[in-house]
Amino acid sequence: MTAPRFDELIHPSTRLSIVSLLAAADWADFSYIRDQLGLSDSALSKQLSTLEQAGYVTVDRTIRRRVRARLTTDGRVAFLGHVAALQAIVATANTSTGSAGDRSRN
Amino acid sequence: MDELTPEQARAALDVVERSRRRVIDEIDVPRWYWAGLASGWIVLGVIADVHHPLVTTLATLAFGAAHSSIAPRVVNGRHRSSQMSVRGDIAGPRLAAWVLGSLVALVGVTIAAALILNADDAHHPVTGAAVLAAVILVLGGPLLPAAARRRAVRTGAAS
Repeated sequence: MTAPRFDELIHPSTRLSIVSLLAAADWADFSYIRDQLGLSDSALSKQLSTLEQAGYVTVDRTIRRRVRARLTTDGRVAFLGHVAALQAIVATANTSTGSAGDRSRN
Repeated sequence: MDELTPEQARAALDVVERSRRRVIDEIDVPRWYWAGLASGWIVLGVIADVHHPLVTTLATLAFGAAHSSIAPRVVNGRHRSSQMSVRGDIAGPRLAAWVLGSLVALVGVTIAAALILNADDAHHPVTGAAVLAAVILVLGGPLLPAAARRRAVRTGAAS
């Protein structure tokens, strides 16, 4: 069970998309991420650079000059904690809605 | 963190799930694998109908060796393209077992069909049985990774 931990760095939609994609993959080519998320080269480079500086992503240049990104252990822990935090917010809201429904019925 | 509303949290979880589904869509076994397997199956059938046991044996061994060298990389469904690799816990452990189990069953189908065609005095019973197996492979093979994708969608959704 992952402890909920909201991550301000991961949360912005574009970075969340990138990290979520990498969380489901062992690795992904730069071109794959760019094409799947509809980003420009420069936009994706900037986002990956930010994530790499935070230690969440490693970016490697392969033998055939392809750029490949993967989530680090820290990045995966941060992602899972962030998802748990989001789920906790939703679960709390569902619990509150359920309690309000019970009170209105009684 | 500014107070995140439940709606914002749900929207963020939707983003996570959409990305996960993009990767799930990559779970597949390359079409060339099914086509290559089907072609090899037919070639083996033709060779078997020539009734030269040594050639048949050597061809079968060569086919098996070639398949053994290729299959581990592709039948797990994680490397449909060279652009990314699906994590094992996303792809699930069962696709490789389904594919290999299906191939074993298909050997049985081929043998049974060849015996039936032979009993019916068909001219090339093994070739006929192999063609049947090849059709099953080409049409039915892609259904297995499709089932694996459906399973992956059901398992571990973020929200």
